[in-house]
Amino acid sequence: MYQLKRRFVNYLPNLFSDILKLICVVVFVFPFYWMIITSFKTYGEAIQVPPTLWPKNFTFIAYSNIYNMGINFWQYAQNSVIVTAGVIILQCLVMIPAAYSFAKRQFVGKGIAWAIVISALMIPGTCTYVPIYMVMAKAGLIPSLWPQIIPHGCNVFGIFMLRQAFKQVPDELLESARLDSATELQIVCRIMLPMAKAALITICLFSFIGTWNSYFWPLVMTNNDKYRPLTMYIERVQDADVGNKWNQVMAANVLLVGPVLVIYLFASQKIIQAFTYNGVK
Amino acid sequence: MAEIRFEKVCKFFDKARIIEDLDLTIQDGKFTVLVGASGCGKTTLLRMIAGIGPATSGHIYMDGKEITDVAPSKRDIAMVFQNYAIYPTMTVRENIEFGLKNKKVPKAEREALIKEYAEIVGLTEYLDRKPGTLSGGQRQRIALARAMVKKPAVFLMDEPLSNLDAKLRVQMRTELIELHNRLKTTFVYVTHDQVEAMSMADVIVLMNKGQIMQEASPEDIYNDPNNVFTAQFIGTPPMNIVDMPDGNKMGFRPEKVKMSDVPVQGCYCHKGEILTREMLGSETLYKIDCGEYTFMVKTDKPDFAMGEKVFIHVANEHLYFFDAEGQRIRKTDGENQYAQLLQNAGGMSNV
Repeated sequence: MYQLKRRFVNYLPNLFSDILKLICVVVFVFPFYWMIITSFKTYGEAIQVPPTLWPKNFTFIAYSNIYNMGINFWQYAQNSVIVTAGVIILQCLVMIPAAYSFAKRQFVGKGIAWAIVISALMIPGTCTYVPIYMVMAKAGLIPSLWPQIIPHGCNVFGIFMLRQAFKQVPDELLESARLDSATELQIVCRIMLPMAKAALITICLFSFIGTWNSYFWPLVMTNNDKYRPLTMYIERVQDADVGNKWNQVMAANVLLVGPVLVIYLFASQKIIQAFTYNGVK
Repeated sequence: MAEIRFEKVCKFFDKARIIEDLDLTIQDGKFTVLVGASGCGKTTLLRMIAGIGPATSGHIYMDGKEITDVAPSKRDIAMVFQNYAIYPTMTVRENIEFGLKNKKVPKAEREALIKEYAEIVGLTEYLDRKPGTLSGGQRQRIALARAMVKKPAVFLMDEPLSNLDAKLRVQMRTELIELHNRLKTTFVYVTHDQVEAMSMADVIVLMNKGQIMQEASPEDIYNDPNNVFTAQFIGTPPMNIVDMPDGNKMGFRPEKVKMSDVPVQGCYCHKGEILTREMLGSETLYKIDCGEYTFMVKTDKPDFAMGEKVFIHVANEHLYFFDAEGQRIRKTDGENQYAQLLQNAGGMSNV
């Protein structure tokens, strides 16, 4: 009894923070929960008042309905996959050499070059829509996926984060590798990147989420369903004439968010690693 | 096998002049130790040989060929760093293999080499482990194996033992000597520890503020120092130095001093009082207050007590003389002058 009491007294200071954590979890998780269970309800149950917390009739009807609506889901999904993969690959191709040279190489004008790169963070994204659209239109690229890929090729925040990670690699390792006849490419691929793995994964994950979920950019940059991504598929599923079929909208949302959730679950450990300084070698 | 020659080498970091007009020849096949206090330029010299810290001006030759501007990978050298610089994300095997792979050594040959050198350094059973799971000594061995496997003409080592504990350091020291005997290649070893330098070197290069103070074998550098700096840097405790009335300096090693209860004639003799006594086992270290100076004395006689009044005396052949600038005055520089110095030293006796 005494021991139980002592444990309770020791725990008391944590009680408040635990309650706050619980509230946070509910606030963040409940919308996802609501999205998922609504997608398994019938239309009638989805708009029922009071709402049900668990579907009475667990059904896949919403999924089969949107699949049979005559909108080519696979075309949208394919666009999303190509655009997202393209953006991430292009970003890596730009970001890794840039971060390496800013972290470990000496060259004339390095300070000014870095200032220019960083100043790109200060330009509001919305200002770039019209100029980029005009460039793409002039280049005749609007009827293609390129306007969704090329403008995102340079990830300034990614360069910044990766540079920090590269800076933590001791110079002796690079010198040692040079003595071991390694080329710069080998140094980056075999030594720098494995040591900055956590940072790289985090940056790629953020790019993935950002690109996968982007809605306004593709809306501006496309004029044909053939080039539109999944986010715009959801828009098509909504039916303004007869009111939204909420179960179907939620089903489409599940299809959109599903891959993000799965990948995040796998990568979350790496993200925590990248954001917390690891003092123990 | 290679001889390395520095010719009028300078190194500036911004405005700071680390090394100025330095000439040095590192002999082929010898174990050369660069020793000196922190910041004396010894590591800078080593990095110049490696090609990872180029000289500001001057020339460096390896076997007569100029290598001043040759890329590190083309110099046929291997280096062991102070913090080992082993690749933490690779296994021990991959660490050793990395340089061979980059040099496009065929796989079968690589395997054989890894096996051979892992055995030499005693890492065979750890080949598939990551360095993070190994101890400091084992990591040191990875670094050694990685350097050896390339069969370089020159081995560079930058304080490779300073991160090891005292016992392991002594053990690795003998292992490095054995390694040098086996490989017979040129070793260039940097340390700030004079004991390490004395115990391992064929040739010691003693540096101070970017200048070479003396370059000699351990025996010569200990018995026949060129200047006060060398005399005081080599040997523990350092040589006792006394200013003479004529402006010169006189020195004698703590281990050459004799102690007695009565004064001794015909040599430098001084009375004093024992301040501290350190029993080191086979020897005892006394700090003796002789009025103007305190002297260190190292002797095998442990039976003097703290506070005791004693006489210290040093035989004439164990006295060293230096001029006002700290340069050595030898008997060969002039018999008469030397006899005069000896006489002056005797005159400084205080009994």
